[in-house]
Amino acid sequence: MKVLVTVKRVIDYNVKIRVKPDGSDVDLTNVKMAVNPFCEIAVEEAVRMKEKGIASEIVVVSVGASEAQEQLRTALALGADRAILVETTANTESLNVAKLLAKVVEQEQPSLVIMGKQAIDSDNNQTGQMLAALCDMPQATFASEVSVTDNSVAVTREIDGGLQTLSLRLPAIVTTDLRLNEPRYASLPNIMKAKRKPLATVTPDDLGVTLSAHTQLLGVNPPPQRSAGVKVKSVAELVDKLKNEAKVI
Amino acid sequence: MDFALNDIQQMLKDSAGKFIHNDYDFETRQKYSHSELGYSEDNWQLFAELGWLALPFAEEFGGLDGNATDLMVLMTELGKGLIVEPYLSTVVLAGNAIQRGGTAEQKEALIGGIVGGELKLAFAGLEAQSATDISSINTQASTAGSGLVLNGKKQVVLHAQSADKLVVAARSHNNNGNIALYLVDANAEGVAAHHYPTNDGARASDLTFTNVAAELLGDSDDAAAVIQAVLNDAIVAVSAEAVGVMDKMLAATVEYTKVRKQFDVPISTFQILQHNMVDMFMECEQARSMLYYAAITIGGGNSEEQVAEANKASQFLKWKVGQAARLVGQTAVQLHGGMGVTDELDVGHMFKRLTMINTLFGSMDIHLDNLVKQRQAA
Repeated sequence: MKVLVTVKRVIDYNVKIRVKPDGSDVDLTNVKMAVNPFCEIAVEEAVRMKEKGIASEIVVVSVGASEAQEQLRTALALGADRAILVETTANTESLNVAKLLAKVVEQEQPSLVIMGKQAIDSDNNQTGQMLAALCDMPQATFASEVSVTDNSVAVTREIDGGLQTLSLRLPAIVTTDLRLNEPRYASLPNIMKAKRKPLATVTPDDLGVTLSAHTQLLGVNPPPQRSAGVKVKSVAELVDKLKNEAKVI
Repeated sequence: MDFALNDIQQMLKDSAGKFIHNDYDFETRQKYSHSELGYSEDNWQLFAELGWLALPFAEEFGGLDGNATDLMVLMTELGKGLIVEPYLSTVVLAGNAIQRGGTAEQKEALIGGIVGGELKLAFAGLEAQSATDISSINTQASTAGSGLVLNGKKQVVLHAQSADKLVVAARSHNNNGNIALYLVDANAEGVAAHHYPTNDGARASDLTFTNVAAELLGDSDDAAAVIQAVLNDAIVAVSAEAVGVMDKMLAATVEYTKVRKQFDVPISTFQILQHNMVDMFMECEQARSMLYYAAITIGGGNSEEQVAEANKASQFLKWKVGQAARLVGQTAVQLHGGMGVTDELDVGHMFKRLTMINTLFGSMDIHLDNLVKQRQAA
């Protein structure tokens, strides 16, 4: 079974985000970039499937500038077999990415597509769902457990207040939640092997996709600074402030 | 010159950095340090799985053929976690001595065990009178029947408590005054050990050898060149660790001064403290530059000139890192105030590790003195 996994290059989750002085976007100058944590979970799940003999090949795909090769190499070091970069510096909003991925899916014909449920940069949580619609495939989002049988995949989803288990016929699309697994560290031998694994680069033109802007970024604002606390003299004063100032009780 | 890390080194850095960030926070490190073993055996097995124990060894013995720069990258990241696992003693010191000086049979027999995480080693070099001069040793090897035995005392043998085998520097059994290296089972009859924690949270031991059965490491009883090469690698390794520690101290200090308020403003707004932190930054960068220089020079080659250059580079490095570590460590503690030396905050522990590193393999004063003497003699 061929598994296709998508990987997005995002700001490392440990980095404190800076906004450009004019508020036009996030400042990416000299910022450490990494694999989106949800995508890393997706790669790990695919690698575990291969270790169990369920998956025969893992193909990782990214859409973005040439620097995204670094994240694809990381995915290869974690255990993927080959990589495809759809290289573009143009607008990579969710629908555009989904259209590009749909073409890759059409070419690769995977039995299962595993994606992160969202990227930690724009938090859209859209691409997986859009790809499912474009490919006319069943989808299961927010997966916390995935189990593949002959022609179907059972997915336990994290939903408000509980869990839901779905069965999907293959080929299907699954998006991962945080608790699906704990990604491994890339071992040095695998890092060295990753260098020799194939990484193909294609462009949107090669895939016959014309990118167009459907949304426009108007501005980015950092969260408001936390103001200093105050000391209260009594429980009664605390209750009064919670009730009348904070209005939380 | 291009000092950027290559793809493999960058991924090694990311992988090791992630491990330290996710699984080796300060409280976890303290738990390992205070445990009976003094480190985490689970972590040691993980190091083996991740290939870190194989890094500097030759591919034919199961290693990954890494060089001093690769080791530098890994040690810098491990330094940020103040790791207490016996990486330095097993891989960089004793394992390296086997790789550089051992026979093919000895390498075949031992390196695979190190790489697989089954075998831990310690390097017993210094004695009470040695200070940091490994040429000043009295431990004596001698023949006994068809074998060899060792007699003598060794001090501050890092991680001997967890070692399965010891690599011991001793006067040759041929009674020619040479210093040779010998392999000894850590639990062999005649080995008496006094184990203790060091002030940086690691473990060390004083060892007494009484007619302990030993095996010559390699074919030659003159291991001076091997020992010097091992010490050069070790100086790069601990200096890289120190640079990692200093980077973390600087970041912690800058962050703290942005939060700590005095006179209703963050103390980071005081110009005198900004100057202090700029000084810390410059020392970090100078130490890093010297580290790069030494790591590249040490891997330069085996000709007489290249070896002389490598020895000089390691001395320059140890001097510079000692100097930087003192300023960065002291300033970090000063800017944190009293809490900078409390047991609960990592800053004081980082300062202790830097102080310990300064004493390892010759302090900055000793290396500076040696450099001056070499210059005067030239």
